Amino acid sequence: MLENYLPILIFILVGILVGVGSLGLGYLLGPRRPDQEKDSPYECGFEAFENARLKFDVRYYLVAILFILFDLEIAFLFPWAVVLDDLGVFAFWSMVIFLGILVVGFIYEWKKGALEWE
Amino acid sequence: MGFEKFLFYVFAAITVLAAGMVVTRRNPVHAVLYLVLAFFSSAALWLLLEAEFLGLVLVLVYVGAVMVLFLFVLMMLDIDLATLRAGFIRYLPLGVVIAVVMAVQILLVVGPGNFGAEQFPTPAAAAADVSNIEEVGLLLYTDYVYPFELAAVILLVGIIAAIRLTLRRRPGTKYLDPTQQIQVRKGPDRVRLVSQVSTAGLREEQGARDVAQSQEDGSA
Amino acid sequence: MIELWNSLPVVMQILLKITAILVPLLLLVAYYTYAERKVIGYIQIRIGPNRVGWRGWLQPIADALKLLFKEVVIPSKADKALYLMAPVITIGPAMAAWAVIPFDAGLVLSDINAGLLYVLALTSLGVYGIIIAGWASNSKYALLGAMRSAAQIVAYEIAMGFALVGVLVAAGSLNLGAIVEAQAGSVFTWFWLPLLPLFGVYLISGVAETNRAPFDVAEGESEIVAGFHVEYSGMAFAVFFLAEYANMILISALNALLFMGGWLSPLPQSWVAGVPLLDDGFHWFALKTGFFMFLFLWLRATFPRYRYDQIMRLGWKVFIPITIVWILVVALAVVYRLPPWWSA
Repeated sequence: MLENYLPILIFILVGILVGVGSLGLGYLLGPRRPDQEKDSPYECGFEAFENARLKFDVRYYLVAILFILFDLEIAFLFPWAVVLDDLGVFAFWSMVIFLGILVVGFIYEWKKGALEWE
Repeated sequence: MGFEKFLFYVFAAITVLAAGMVVTRRNPVHAVLYLVLAFFSSAALWLLLEAEFLGLVLVLVYVGAVMVLFLFVLMMLDIDLATLRAGFIRYLPLGVVIAVVMAVQILLVVGPGNFGAEQFPTPAAAAADVSNIEEVGLLLYTDYVYPFELAAVILLVGIIAAIRLTLRRRPGTKYLDPTQQIQVRKGPDRVRLVSQVSTAGLREEQGARDVAQSQEDGSA
Repeated sequence: MIELWNSLPVVMQILLKITAILVPLLLLVAYYTYAERKVIGYIQIRIGPNRVGWRGWLQPIADALKLLFKEVVIPSKADKALYLMAPVITIGPAMAAWAVIPFDAGLVLSDINAGLLYVLALTSLGVYGIIIAGWASNSKYALLGAMRSAAQIVAYEIAMGFALVGVLVAAGSLNLGAIVEAQAGSVFTWFWLPLLPLFGVYLISGVAETNRAPFDVAEGESEIVAGFHVEYSGMAFAVFFLAEYANMILISALNALLFMGGWLSPLPQSWVAGVPLLDDGFHWFALKTGFFMFLFLWLRATFPRYRYDQIMRLGWKVFIPITIVWILVVALAVVYRLPPWWSA
């Protein structure tokens, strides 16, 4: 099994190298003339005010946490999908119960309005 | 075999180093990114153990989801580094006590007697066509189906808890419901046909110039 | 020739194979940008770039050279290390995902069992480049774009994952080559037909995942100027650009492999076996991938940008219910061996 992952390891390294290489090339070939105005954060014609790192609505946090829970669900579905043909009816119904419980959560989410974006 | 060991030490060193950076970095965003690196190299270590499914799911769930949440939270909070540092000295004694208790607990469960390569026979390497995921699946949905369903209940509790804790509606937001919006029908909702009184009688009263003007408007 | 190849060290062989994938890929990316400008040009009754070289054929090369000689501006308050790392994090996974893509029967760099899981894991890393770029730039527009796109990618990744589970149920394997083989037959046994709702969900989620129009609120030139990469210039910008297009090609290739039978010929094997061009082969894969790549451009030229609440609604309230229902339908058909697709 591991011999199949060697090309992947090398590919990831090459992929990173492509990024680093082109950035490095740009850094070498491009000019470097920093000036205060050029290096200031982008604004539409006025001086930047306040800290750029703004606080965000707690809604983003909720979306992220719901994402984790559903992502875990997917992680459980993957092996199930692969062996479903071998295990047959029993595995099917065990997943129906699993999904059923989570659909209750999904309906709760929906009814509470956690999926609305104001 | 030699290369595998070499890879193991490389990834193990990265994991330990990254974990060290997580607790020593001042900037919380940097700390989280080092944690991502630690997870990533742990995934590589699991792959070296031929735990293909666990390794990839570690990347998918922890790196791809949990750490994204961490970054969201860090970006949402306005973190004042000075107060964080002040708190560090105050909580240091308590932290040390907890760390010692945890270390003792870990030692009691997995004492030094459990370590060492001589404790375990070297497992045979799996063939290239053995699917780790299939093996996991064959056990998980048959022998361990009860814990599997319990996992669903835990996830359900997680969903409900997250919503109870964080969901609040802000009053006074101007909110359009897209579901209602797309139900707008072409006929009665979007276009309103208003019947106009015929202008035949009016025209005779107006001058000829006005008639020409209105015809021009009509054709334009 | 073969002896020479076998005499090379394994790492050298792998590096050569990777070059054989990456060089055509990068060229394809360059000419995809050209194709985009031409296609959208003609859709809008313009002619698109036509100055550099014959009919503008050298335009992408001119663009690349220009970007190469531009200054990489680093904003004064930016987190310098992270600022430069973000493009690298974006392009790394976009390239590495190609390691498991089969181009023809048996023609794949790394034939791992968990191919699809690997692709999903790598594409889930794409969100990091965007968040880090947005945060490290220390610019309001960049951070706004980053947060928007992160929440959007996250919502559509769920729908995408569920759609993939449907494919897995139908194919019974995570190996991309095996998934294609499971579709063997004719155009009607490819998964697009039995998995039609999932195909639609995957297609649209793919557009949303790559932040392309009409889901490009992360960039939104007309509202938040360029979103997460507003502060980037020169090669730093070019790397983001490369990664975006490489991801579009990747999603197109996955669409072709998972739902349209990859390298399989649309006609039954008994009719076309041995017939040149009609038989299974790489050209079918290229043709199908090319079609989906064209679709990306067509969508961009046709649809106006979605509003943010509409995007979130579509991801959570429409796609997720559809996929959950259809996974169970397909599973039912597989378990009870329902005709016409799973009667065997």
